[in-house]
Amino acid sequence: MLQATDLRKSYGDTEALKGLDMTVEGGDIYCLLGANGAGKTTTISLFLNFIQPDGGTATVCGLDVTEQPLETKKLLAYIPEQVMLYGNLTALENLRYFSQLGGHDYSPEEYRDFLRRVGLEEEAVDRRVKTYSKGMRQKVGVAIALAKQARALLLDEPTAGLDPKASNEFSELLLKLKSDGAAILMATHDLFRAKETGTRIGIMKEGRLVDELSTGEVTHADVEKIYLQHMHAGGHYAQDGAGSA
Amino acid sequence: MKRIIISHEARQLFRSGAFRALLLMVAGAVAFAAWSGQRSIDRQVEGANAAIAFEDGRRGKMRADTEQYQAQVAAEGGEYQFASAQHAPGAGPPQGTNAGVVGSTTAKYLRMPPTGLAPFSIGQSDIQLSYVPVSMNPTMYITKDNELENPVNLMTGSFDIAFVVIFLLPIFILAISYDLLSSEKERGTLAMILAHPISLRELMASKIIARAGVLLAGVLVLGIVALLAVGTNLNLADTWARFSLWMAATLLYALFWFAMSVLVNVYGKNSAANGIALAGTWLALVVVVPTLVSLLATTLYPAPSRMELTTAARQAQTEAESTYMARLSEYYYDHLEFVPEGDERAMDFLTVAMANRNAIEKAVRPLYDGFQSQLNLQESLVQRFQFISPAIMMQLALNEISGTSADRYEHFLNQAYDFRVEWSEFFTVKFLQRAPLRPQDYDQLPAFEYREEPFATVLMRLVPSLLGMLVLLTGAILIPFLRLRRYQVATS
Repeated sequence: MLQATDLRKSYGDTEALKGLDMTVEGGDIYCLLGANGAGKTTTISLFLNFIQPDGGTATVCGLDVTEQPLETKKLLAYIPEQVMLYGNLTALENLRYFSQLGGHDYSPEEYRDFLRRVGLEEEAVDRRVKTYSKGMRQKVGVAIALAKQARALLLDEPTAGLDPKASNEFSELLLKLKSDGAAILMATHDLFRAKETGTRIGIMKEGRLVDELSTGEVTHADVEKIYLQHMHAGGHYAQDGAGSA
Repeated sequence: MKRIIISHEARQLFRSGAFRALLLMVAGAVAFAAWSGQRSIDRQVEGANAAIAFEDGRRGKMRADTEQYQAQVAAEGGEYQFASAQHAPGAGPPQGTNAGVVGSTTAKYLRMPPTGLAPFSIGQSDIQLSYVPVSMNPTMYITKDNELENPVNLMTGSFDIAFVVIFLLPIFILAISYDLLSSEKERGTLAMILAHPISLRELMASKIIARAGVLLAGVLVLGIVALLAVGTNLNLADTWARFSLWMAATLLYALFWFAMSVLVNVYGKNSAANGIALAGTWLALVVVVPTLVSLLATTLYPAPSRMELTTAARQAQTEAESTYMARLSEYYYDHLEFVPEGDERAMDFLTVAMANRNAIEKAVRPLYDGFQSQLNLQESLVQRFQFISPAIMMQLALNEISGTSADRYEHFLNQAYDFRVEWSEFFTVKFLQRAPLRPQDYDQLPAFEYREEPFATVLMRLVPSLLGMLVLLTGAILIPFLRLRRYQVATS
């Protein structure tokens, strides 16, 4: 579904991504871990065609994102760290606008249903979203992804700053999307959630994928230990390709 | 796809209080400008009517006197005679029988009728009067009431609709579009939108179409309301043709400013930087450049002082008076057919005055023509430099469309010059033949009818300004749309 092949990107003199190879299949929740600046956001931006790669390819369902940007965006949904909406529109109006941008149109009842499914309080649906908390906005973001019937989801630290309850509700929603067969790529700092909801974990460091784990085969403690090992490793390429799979 | 964004953007605009306030302000400005423009034209028309009524009244009185005199002659017998110039009042033939007196003491006011759109752009009509006096006096007296020392000052003027369009409309446009992309980027919604199958160009174009559509619908409605309110010659096809041209020019000018917003936005700076860049652009193109061009025109081609003209006229008169005997001989030498029989050397003051006038006209006409040609040089310099600022192009175009351009005024003055010759001739011939003016002669006075320029001439003169704006607009659209490829949606 989501595939990166030798993906490279530089900003001026800094190489942000030094040849990334990764695949996220349908039904996978792939969690990208790594320090700030490791290249997680760059990876997501490349899949969205927000920036142009300097080498390699990113494909969505086999379509190259630079060659068919509009086609691939029909298949993608994006939930950033802060789901930003039009503050002077209600949740329903925001959802309708973004759905129409994606080429879908539903009845008002169906829009309400999407918002109900992501757990937005009934009374909030017709309120302007400038009064919303971050958790509520993230829910609308998921509703937008649901309504878009996306085959692949790109999430950039979507739970950062959410309280544990909201964070948990968000994870529940991801599991629902996963069971529908979506491929989910999520950048996160939350090791606990990554192990809990993710099916696979990728650890990035300085523009490279240094390790991949299957969450079924490791414990919470293992994840933390392996992650910290990589972070503390001195040489730039010391851990390249090493680790358990 | 685009329709969704357009209607979304339009709704966003109308939900914004600032936009509604701006819209009200523009409507208020247009209403005030329409009122002020109309008042200015009304004043001109009233002034013309008063001047015409006054001068026609004086001639009417003279005609009535001759009628009375004719009746008296018919009743008492005798001959219908010519009043000598300095004839004491009360006795003998009235002054109205003397063509020299009538021709030199009364004036005929000629007027250039305003077009149906004149209140929209006052132009220079406040300093170039649309009604001028013609008498046997020298040509320079025709424009003596005009403020000749006023430079080609395209930047000041009345608060008319042209001012609202040229100065205020760009501010309004920039206010609703300076943060076209930057606001979406800063709000974070740009990434949300572009995660959907929408290209940046499509987004940008849709946002502009929404704003331009709302704005131009507003301009059209306000324009029609203003036209109906000032309501001159609404049933003339000419008025509606001019109104359509006005709208076309406004459309070009408005689109240019939208394109400037797009141009600034594609460089990816924040909203504050965009706002400052656009405010600077407005200041440069609308205020600074036109002022500099105007300054350049008056510096390169300074108009000779009107004082100089008057002094020269006085000098010519003094000279003429001091040598009037010689002049009289010379004059009669030139016009032998008019020398009164048996009275070759008669000291007729009016004849002398006429000879003097001739002398003054001869002495001053070159100065006057020089003066007018300096004004024409100033004007043609502005014409040549108009292409560096859309505001100058727009001002010239709107003056042309409203019939308040320098060229139309010159067309009118040339007719007035020709008419002066015809008018003088009528009285001069009668006077020199010592033929008494009869009441029916008053009905034979030359009549003046302003001949409007062909519409095609107006269109031809509009071509440079409109074409210039079109070229500027095309450039302003192409550059950003080519540059949009490099726009950074996400920065890391």
